[in-house]
Amino acid sequence: MPRLRSSSRPLVSLGVLFVMLAHASAWAAPDTQTVLERRVKAAFLYKFAGYVDWPAPAFRGPGDPLVIGVIGDDALADELERLVQGRRSAGRLVQVRRIENTGEPGDVHLLFLGRSHAQRAGEAVQAIRQRPVLLVSESPGALQQGSMINFVIGEGRVRFEVDLDATKRNGLGLSSRLLTVARTVTAKGS
Amino acid sequence: MALLLVALALSDGRPVGADEHLLANLDDLADLSLEQLAEIEVMSVSRRLEPLSEAAASIYVITPEDIRRSGAVTLPDALRLAPNLQVARADASRWAISARGYNSIIANNMLVLIDGRTVYSPLFSGVFWEAQDLPLEDIERIEVISGPGGTLWGTNAVNGVINILTRTAGDTQGALIAAGMGSDTKVLQARFGDALGSKVSWRFHGRFVELAETENAAGAGSNDLAQRWQGGFRADQGDSVSGVTLIGGAYRTEITQLPSDRIVENKHLLVAWSRRLGVGRKLRLQAYYDRNDREQPGSIRDALDTYDIEFQHPLAVQGRHRLLWGAGFRRYVDRLENLGPGFAFVPADRTLDYLHAFAEDDIRLGDDADLVLGLKLERNDYTHWEALPTVRLAYRPGTARLVWAAFSRAVRAPSRIDRELFTPAAGPPFTLAGGPDFRSEVAHAAELGYRAQPTPFLSWSLTGFVHSSDRLRSFEPSPDGPVFGNGLEGTTTGLEAWSKWRLLPWWRVDLGYVEQRRTVRRDPDSGDFTDGSQLGNDPHRWASLHSAVELFGGHEFDVWVRHVAALPRPAVPAYVAFDARLGLRLPHGLELSVTGRNLFDDRHPEWGVAPLRPEFERGILAQLRWRFWRT
Repeated sequence: MPRLRSSSRPLVSLGVLFVMLAHASAWAAPDTQTVLERRVKAAFLYKFAGYVDWPAPAFRGPGDPLVIGVIGDDALADELERLVQGRRSAGRLVQVRRIENTGEPGDVHLLFLGRSHAQRAGEAVQAIRQRPVLLVSESPGALQQGSMINFVIGEGRVRFEVDLDATKRNGLGLSSRLLTVARTVTAKGS
Repeated sequence: MALLLVALALSDGRPVGADEHLLANLDDLADLSLEQLAEIEVMSVSRRLEPLSEAAASIYVITPEDIRRSGAVTLPDALRLAPNLQVARADASRWAISARGYNSIIANNMLVLIDGRTVYSPLFSGVFWEAQDLPLEDIERIEVISGPGGTLWGTNAVNGVINILTRTAGDTQGALIAAGMGSDTKVLQARFGDALGSKVSWRFHGRFVELAETENAAGAGSNDLAQRWQGGFRADQGDSVSGVTLIGGAYRTEITQLPSDRIVENKHLLVAWSRRLGVGRKLRLQAYYDRNDREQPGSIRDALDTYDIEFQHPLAVQGRHRLLWGAGFRRYVDRLENLGPGFAFVPADRTLDYLHAFAEDDIRLGDDADLVLGLKLERNDYTHWEALPTVRLAYRPGTARLVWAAFSRAVRAPSRIDRELFTPAAGPPFTLAGGPDFRSEVAHAAELGYRAQPTPFLSWSLTGFVHSSDRLRSFEPSPDGPVFGNGLEGTTTGLEAWSKWRLLPWWRVDLGYVEQRRTVRRDPDSGDFTDGSQLGNDPHRWASLHSAVELFGGHEFDVWVRHVAALPRPAVPAYVAFDARLGLRLPHGLELSVTGRNLFDDRHPEWGVAPLRPEFERGILAQLRWRFWRT
């Protein structure tokens, strides 16, 4: 094989072209992987509500809907809205709300913090202090930031880890059924 | 082209991935139980790229997977994987490694740390790469930051930081034996790790590396054989948030040279303690002792003791502000003996104290923007106080995009070689009479970067930079003879780009590209008579391509291509190097790999002056790894 010439221009142009094409084609092709992952997470969010021991102040009356707030992931909020159409959770209607300001989530029962807003976890924790709200996240290390349930991808599947101390701080109880499916459960003293 | 054909050929009969699973109908998913949801395969194992880094800096992370797939045996081999680093091999064991220009064997603008322990020498502010070594299997990640490191790092991090982190003892349990044999390398190592109860884990390792003598263009031996014995341990208690870590090690390197072998020995012990203060905050305290002995026959005998202690303390979040501050102290006790007639350090013995304190405020500007204001103050015995301010802005316009900008003032404080080096030893008259008035070199850097991860399988990063350097080291005339002064200034501009793209579940391609222009000028009142080439030797560009393919059965095939443009002074021609590695996973924890280097090249030089400089030939290396007793 002849020695490769030292002129690097073709190599350089090829490299730049490669990156540009890669970026362009990635936008064009439908991304099936994240769609499935998003749908599984939406399904989990909907189901989690049914495994939470909500304290009395969480709902004013039996007709109150269950509200799921979504921060920083419009695509997931879309999936969730489609999923909850015509469904109930423990007899309640389910509403999905898109939250613009992490510091003011409003009246929600579940709060999902999308990956793009992971660094705002501390604010979300502050905003729901002493309120019966279940905080769910999807970023590494979020439990250490105060999140209660954190999605992790393990062995190609959507799993989740739970911090019981955080749920207790907000007056929430979690069904043992949920805990057995969790990948890890953290509680002080263990 | 051949690669593409291979890819197409392998695409039929491939095991069906998650893509082929029914893209589950939304209603079906909601009817599944928790257990069933947890079983849905949303993607094949380890296909996902690392999530986008949030750092407002040009940072590249070398992963342990890539280190393994490159067939690298030594640390500089592994550093070639960072697209933002200039890496040139000078001989069997010596390397010139830097980012953002001014590269040389004694490159002095990079801060290099191994598990928090600084490994550059205060003799010349650079790293003796011939001596630094550790088992590459123990590496958790290598963070390579090009550009001024920012507040968390300090003086000497003018052009960048190489932060090498090893795995916790808990991640390296069981036994590992590795052996490698090739045309220019021999390596043998063993490691064993276990746990004491549920809280403490530990590991020990021992390693021997031999790097064969290189040859020059005429085929004559360079007499630079290197042998290294290295051992160490690590113990961890607790986890990364709250716990204690103890790391220790020792090594001895013997390098053939005339008149007799160069010997470097080192022992070190580091203890790090961290404790959770609150949500997302941990206090960190670290102290270490390092003893380095260098025997360079005909030049110097040097014994250096380093004592270092430092801490970092994040304060509680106050509204929009997140404050971090810290301080540290380091003492070098250097006992040197001048052995040769060529040069001498005067005074021979020296104790140097460094004190630093820093504060950083991370201000949330809006829901998607952060401003970081940082200031580091350092005190050294030569120039007393230095201030290193930095301003960094990060803006996230979408879920997976980051735009960042940074403005920093960085400083390289004087080292012993800048102030205390005299040549020849027996002068006057001197051809170099120290640098009594040598001040710190200063750089002002402006950087702009963009990072995107449009899909979990494609990420890319682009950084543009301008470094304006002032008070660079120059030779100035004086009544006693030439001395080191600060009469040169320079401008470096460039672009760094890289991308990672998983095209297919079993095929990933990484690209890297740097374009850089550096000019050096003399100050009007400087008497410098050199052309500034002693500051460094840098190419205009370098680029790399890595293709990682997963074959049937979990085996691996990797191709690495790199191109480095010509070096100006001393002139070294441009080259393209082509390496390939085949890795086979065998039963019972065995892994066999064969790596071919410089496959399409008889030989090429990377550094030095012709005709004596070494040229690196085509070579092959076979490695075997055996993991067992995994607990």
